[in-house]
Amino acid sequence: MDELTSGELKRLGDSRMLMQREWSPCRYHCPVHADVRSYIELAARGRWREAIDVIRERLPFASVCGRVCHHPCEANCRRAGVDEAVAIREVKRFVSEQQGASGATVRRVVQDKAPVAIVGAGPAGMAAALDLALLGYRPTVFEKFAVAGGIPATAIPPYRLPRDVLQQDIDWICAHGVTVVTGVEIGKDKTLADLKSEGFAAIVIATGLALSRTLPIPGANHERVYPVLDFLTAVCSDRAPRIGSDVVVIGGGNVAMDAARTAVRLGATRVRAMCLEAEDEMPAWDWERSEAAEEGVGFIHRRGPTDIVIRDGRIVAVAARKVTRVFDADHRFDPRYDDADVVSVECDTVIMAIGQTADMGFLAGSPLAKDTRGRLTYDSATHQTSDPSIFACGEIVTAPGSVVEACASGQRAAKGVDLFLSGKPIRLADALPPVIGEMAPDTAAKVSKSPRNAVLQRAADERRRDSLPIDANFTADAAMHEAQRCMGCGGGAEVLIDKCAACLTCLRVCPFDIPVVTDVARIESSLCQACGMCIVECPANAIVSRSWDTREEIGNTAARLAGAGAGPKVVAYINGYHAPAAAWGASAEDALPGVLEVWLPSVSRLGVAEMLRAIENGADGIVVVAGYLGGDRYPTVRERMARRVEQLRAMLGEIGMNPERIQLVHCADEGRDAMRRAIVEATGKIAAC
Amino acid sequence: MIVAERKPMDEIVAMLAPHRKVLVLGCGGCVTVCLTGGEKQAELLAGQLRLAARQAGRTLEAAFDCITRQCEREFFDNLTEDPRTYDAVLSIACGAGVQYMSELYPEVPILPGMNTTFLASNVAGGVWEEYCRGCGDCVLAWTGGICPITQCSKSLINGTCGGTNNGKCEVNPEMECGWLRIYERLKALGQLDNYRTLRAARDHRKDRGGGVRRLVLKDMAESQESGNE
Ligand SMILES: Cc1cc2nc3c(=O)[nH]c(=O)nc-3n(C[C@H](O)[C@H](O)[C@H](O)COP(=O)(O)OP(=O)(O)OC[C@H]3O[C@@H](n4cnc5c(N)ncnc54)[C@H](O)[C@@H]3O)c2cc1C
Ligand code: SF4
Ligand code: SF4
Ligand code: SF4
Ligand code: SF4
Repeated sequence: MDELTSGELKRLGDSRMLMQREWSPCRYHCPVHADVRSYIELAARGRWREAIDVIRERLPFASVCGRVCHHPCEANCRRAGVDEAVAIREVKRFVSEQQGASGATVRRVVQDKAPVAIVGAGPAGMAAALDLALLGYRPTVFEKFAVAGGIPATAIPPYRLPRDVLQQDIDWICAHGVTVVTGVEIGKDKTLADLKSEGFAAIVIATGLALSRTLPIPGANHERVYPVLDFLTAVCSDRAPRIGSDVVVIGGGNVAMDAARTAVRLGATRVRAMCLEAEDEMPAWDWERSEAAEEGVGFIHRRGPTDIVIRDGRIVAVAARKVTRVFDADHRFDPRYDDADVVSVECDTVIMAIGQTADMGFLAGSPLAKDTRGRLTYDSATHQTSDPSIFACGEIVTAPGSVVEACASGQRAAKGVDLFLSGKPIRLADALPPVIGEMAPDTAAKVSKSPRNAVLQRAADERRRDSLPIDANFTADAAMHEAQRCMGCGGGAEVLIDKCAACLTCLRVCPFDIPVVTDVARIESSLCQACGMCIVECPANAIVSRSWDTREEIGNTAARLAGAGAGPKVVAYINGYHAPAAAWGASAEDALPGVLEVWLPSVSRLGVAEMLRAIENGADGIVVVAGYLGGDRYPTVRERMARRVEQLRAMLGEIGMNPERIQLVHCADEGRDAMRRAIVEATGKIAAC
Repeated sequence: MIVAERKPMDEIVAMLAPHRKVLVLGCGGCVTVCLTGGEKQAELLAGQLRLAARQAGRTLEAAFDCITRQCEREFFDNLTEDPRTYDAVLSIACGAGVQYMSELYPEVPILPGMNTTFLASNVAGGVWEEYCRGCGDCVLAWTGGICPITQCSKSLINGTCGGTNNGKCEVNPEMECGWLRIYERLKALGQLDNYRTLRAARDHRKDRGGGVRRLVLKDMAESQESGNE
């Protein structure tokens, strides 16, 4: 990491740009690079409305991803080194669903650029359409089904993703001037050539993987052998297919788990998933597998079907041989079988869930090139197909993945389209800022532990009977508390080396022993816990925050004081680490008259400069509501705060103002009522000054 | 390093009374390190002065700025504020900085916000103690590394006076007798001979008696005319 100087900071303009110097792993590993740390930080302060905007800035399918994302952010969360990863997805779920479609800002731009057609209203197509609209194009999305949303709308079972949740995302995207035309299948109802002649300057193909793979084995054509997408789509469109009571799902991936769990919900008495893999080789996520098992799904491992046995026109069993290996030495899929070991697995219904493949029907009559394996030819560097005005994105051209990856692909394609239509060469910059490093174990050991907030899951016995969501949304309190577990990685302190006087103060006040001072102070970003203590105490103002800035807070307080009108005014700075969500930013009726509450995640960054400014800006006094020992999220803050209050009191005394104007109380962890009482009492003392 | 303490507020307020627009200027050197005169202190002091003026029913424009060292000409190029646009500058550097700045800005009153106190070492977080008087003729080689000029209230160079009381100084009973400390240390070092040797009277021209002291490094020195233009 380059060292920072005041000149460089000035050049960056906004100190928030500092966050671009190094990313937190959650952001880095998010396929759309949502600014996770920032929205979690806003959520930690109950600023839901701002949080959703930060989420949606990068992630159009915020609500869908809040439910179903495979969350690589969490898998890489540094909090795991302390106790457990932050439940990022669940916080996002709470924030987006609480705001709904209308609760997030819609940024309309003048759409005076060319019309662009998008084929397929899945995550990739909709994400591309949104970005094109934001760039001033006029996107129209053609979707063969009656609903927009792609696989999330037509195949992800409602017990994992309720339709109204998906609709929030679709509505929000459409509000940006994205037109969706459903019930039009390209290649059948219209061709690509038709779209061109209708005046679409570019076309984006985002048709996903719409066909289920099947096995060419005897009996596979029986009407009770369902290709998985047909099965799930029928269920999703309330046309649940008839199934028997004894179901075998062939496949061991997540899609197979969805099919098996859906079969359970349709009333089958026995559901088993048969797969080539042993338990620890299965491609399904562990949690999908264990939730399925809890709901009664059985597993038959290391078996490959050879035959669907039909007697008297009915399926009676699946014959399956032993799998001797699944992968070769290089971990490539290359199964081998023992034909002498064949079992017969009884059943009356079979669901084939062994993978999906593209439906190339959209190509009808079009000369677009295909490769030797029949796949659409496309250049991953530009997203262009063999026709430079026709682009492709999403799962039709990438490996099967996730909703968020499809969004990322769509966004990248939109950039390609924009460059193409602007007559520029298509060069897509994929370089990312470096990711912040791992946290050393001895630093992790100093971080106070706080267990992950659990999501309430319905009992397996109950949830297997209906299609309602299997788990509950966080409450506001839980969402906020969970967000407060975030350590703000990479949002900590940065030294302006030209201002540092090597005074050692940062080293002395840091509760985590992070700064190292040689010629100047250096703060290793991968270790800094972002408490901000050094920022406030540095005598040279040589340390800046990469995330929320103490100076920003000064401005906010000044604006609020100016807006508060005449009459007595007291500013109460409150450490909100322990307070319930409802108390944060206390609502008008709850607020105490004449008291302006400034809620902070910790009082660690509340310095004398901020408080002095508040007095200068018209506050009659200040109440600092801190916590008792251990009542702040960071060590030593309580002692430090007491000293800051003493310093400010002395400063007021020096200029003939009553030091009693500054009050420090320690009840941040005793609930709202105690806090109100303490503020009232302190305000009384201030009034007497 | 040099330690300086902020002057009493009343004195500062009185000093600034004739002025309406002042710049509080911190120094990024010694006084930042001893936490009394850096940018943060300049910021706080400016705020405090504005409030004080308001209390007194006056208006005072007080801004703050800070440069790396106020005792070097080049660093003044880095000022963000132009001192000439202020009625006065309240410098919170040591006295060297204040005077040097006065020379650079003859048209602007440069006022001292600090009392420059001593040459110090940092004995604990937030605590500085005087260790050196800058006497110009260092004796530490034969005093066991303890400075009698500083640590003895009378700055004697030939051992304890008769006023040592149970190890304390007769001038200041709070203070340990410097010479007793020197004795103990020399004893521990096996160098009591140094204690027994009579030292000649000191040459006070090297100290304050010879007027302003200068250090001119022949190999580096520029002509002062060009240096100060
Ligand atoms: C059962 C199942 C469960 C999944 N669960 C998860 C999960 O929990 N989390 C997760 O992140 N990902 C999950 N995925 C993966 C995720 O759904 C996909 O990665 C994502 O939907 C791919 O987006 P896409 O836009 O590329 O394609 P799709 O979502 O497939 O969208 C393509 C759209 O194009 C339409 N279309 C196709 N051909 C035409 C045509 N000729 N004319 C007009 N329209 C056409 C289709 O109807 C469809 O609406 C799951 C996938 C499946 C199958
Ligand atoms: S602790 Fe917060 S910033 Fe750090 S990786 Fe986890 S979510 Fe991201
Ligand atoms: S507190 Fe500030 S001036 Fe002192 S060493 Fe740290 S960064 Fe440098
Ligand atoms: S005091 Fe806090 S912000 Fe500063 S280096 Fe230490 S952990 Fe980071
Ligand atoms: S002006 Fe004084 S305080 Fe500042 S660096 Fe020079 S000697 Fe130290």
